[in-house]
Amino acid sequence: MKARLREAFWLLVSAFVAIGIWQTLISLTGLPKYVLPPPGAVWHELVAGLTADPSSRASIWYQLSDTLVATLWGFLLGGVGGVSLAAVMAEFRFVQKVLFPYVVGFQSLPKVAIAPLYVIWFGYEMEPKVAMSATLAFFPVLLNAMQGFVAIERDRMELFASLDASRWQRFVMIKLPSAAPLIFAGLNLGIVYALLGAIVAEFIGAQRGVGVLITQLQSVSDTAGVFAILVVLAVAGYVLITVMRLLQKHFVFWQASDTPPDAS
Amino acid sequence: MSEAGPLLLDARGLRKQYDTREGARITALEEVSVSLADGEFVSVVGPSGCGKSTMMKLIAGIVKPSAGEIIYRGQVVTRAQRGMGVVFQSPVLLPWLTVLENVLVPIRVLRMDRAPASARARELLELVGLTGFESKYPSELSGGMQQRVGIVRSLIHDPGLLLMDEPFGALDALTRERMSLALQRIWLANRKTVFFITHSILEAVFLSDRVIVMSARPGRILQEFTIPFPRPRDFDLTSTAEFGDFAREIRHLLGASVDV
Ligand SMILES: Nc1ncnc2c1ncn2[C@@H]1O[C@H](COP(=O)(O)OP(=O)(O)OP(=O)(O)O)[C@@H](O)[C@H]1O
Ligand SMILES: [Mg+2]
Repeated sequence: MKARLREAFWLLVSAFVAIGIWQTLISLTGLPKYVLPPPGAVWHELVAGLTADPSSRASIWYQLSDTLVATLWGFLLGGVGGVSLAAVMAEFRFVQKVLFPYVVGFQSLPKVAIAPLYVIWFGYEMEPKVAMSATLAFFPVLLNAMQGFVAIERDRMELFASLDASRWQRFVMIKLPSAAPLIFAGLNLGIVYALLGAIVAEFIGAQRGVGVLITQLQSVSDTAGVFAILVVLAVAGYVLITVMRLLQKHFVFWQASDTPPDAS
Repeated sequence: MSEAGPLLLDARGLRKQYDTREGARITALEEVSVSLADGEFVSVVGPSGCGKSTMMKLIAGIVKPSAGEIIYRGQVVTRAQRGMGVVFQSPVLLPWLTVLENVLVPIRVLRMDRAPASARARELLELVGLTGFESKYPSELSGGMQQRVGIVRSLIHDPGLLLMDEPFGALDALTRERMSLALQRIWLANRKTVFFITHSILEAVFLSDRVIVMSARPGRILQEFTIPFPRPRDFDLTSTAEFGDFAREIRHLLGASVDV
């Protein structure tokens, strides 16, 4: 408890120091507002965006909710898809042999380059955002889960072999839980990539979302407004990761909490 | 006094070769034949790496022999048999299950009745001194306690043949003696057939009808000893001259490579 308080204290101190340096830099160099806005202006934009009528386009909530819905759907699809494909590939060597070259190929492709295609295919609503989000979330989940399914202690498999367990029993009772820590490592990355995917799709072309808001603010050089949204996105990302960590702690409670959750 | 019952298991000409990562091929086991009579207690001693665990896994049907065959209850073993219980050299507990749930894993896999098995699990846990630990997780147990949970798990589905790979290896001397007595009690009560691997010559002679002594890798059978002492045996037996003769002879056979 005491350690927690001390951590919080120093976090606050460092934030004040950073803001102080930021303000001093502007005063000393006289950088124009559209290059580096002062902290006060960012704060002002932030409050304005958060308190605006939630059904108006100026509201950060209005835009963020759409981005987050796309993120969560994309995460769900990409996460379930990644774990499922990894499981199938681990169970059936043949599938793995056939599909693995494609996985490697897609993995080395800069996947955001697909975003314009998704817009052509799916339009300007929610669908391309979800598709991009799912695409980006899919790969880290797939690769981590694959590693999890492969790296199962031989002893555990032998225990189940000695009981002549069925393939399904081996999968459910040993492979899935054994792979769970690495699956979660993949999901922790996946949620971050899902958010990234949604915003990239919004940059390319969408009606609504924080990505749209950023491009609009950019076109009128409202740098303080962009900064305000970045702050909001940082907080949103932090919340998403924290929720994932809590889920991980709940579902993979046996994993030592002092090991870093995402090794990749 | 091995009142040799009918033949339960007959392994003939077993050989096992492993391909190592470096591409070399090592022979872990060479031309080993063992037979187990129903109700017999047979121990195997041999230097580390001589293929004892390998032999057990072959018998359990979880590793395929490179040559030779295993006949269990008159049938050639090609896969694991449900009538066997295995204690592995390491406890192999699942960290996401409690002690009780770990013990009940064979019941779940074999789709047996859970209620009587739970009661039996509690009895067996008591026998190995783990009452009160049913709902603890393996990480909360010492290595020796984990190994005892592994032993209970191997017994839970009442197997006819018990394969034990250095089950007391992780225990201190005192617990070891107590566990040896407990095992003897279980064995006397149920007359299961036990195939028992150990590093301890003392333990082997104390518990067994027959002790198989193996050579260093590639493992072959050097000699078999029939141990005649009547049962139940207690630890006073270990200080008798006859007992000492067996232990000494086995130790000489093994050379200095085994620590007792
Ligand atoms: N899966 C495997 N792949 C390759 N080599 C193996 C494998 N399992 C065992 N070996 C090798 O086979 C030999 C016999 O191993 P085994 O585990 O049967 O010995 P052991 O007699 O049980 O030894 P210990 O008393 O130390 O447990 C060893 O040289 C070991 O390195
Ligand atoms: Mg061994």
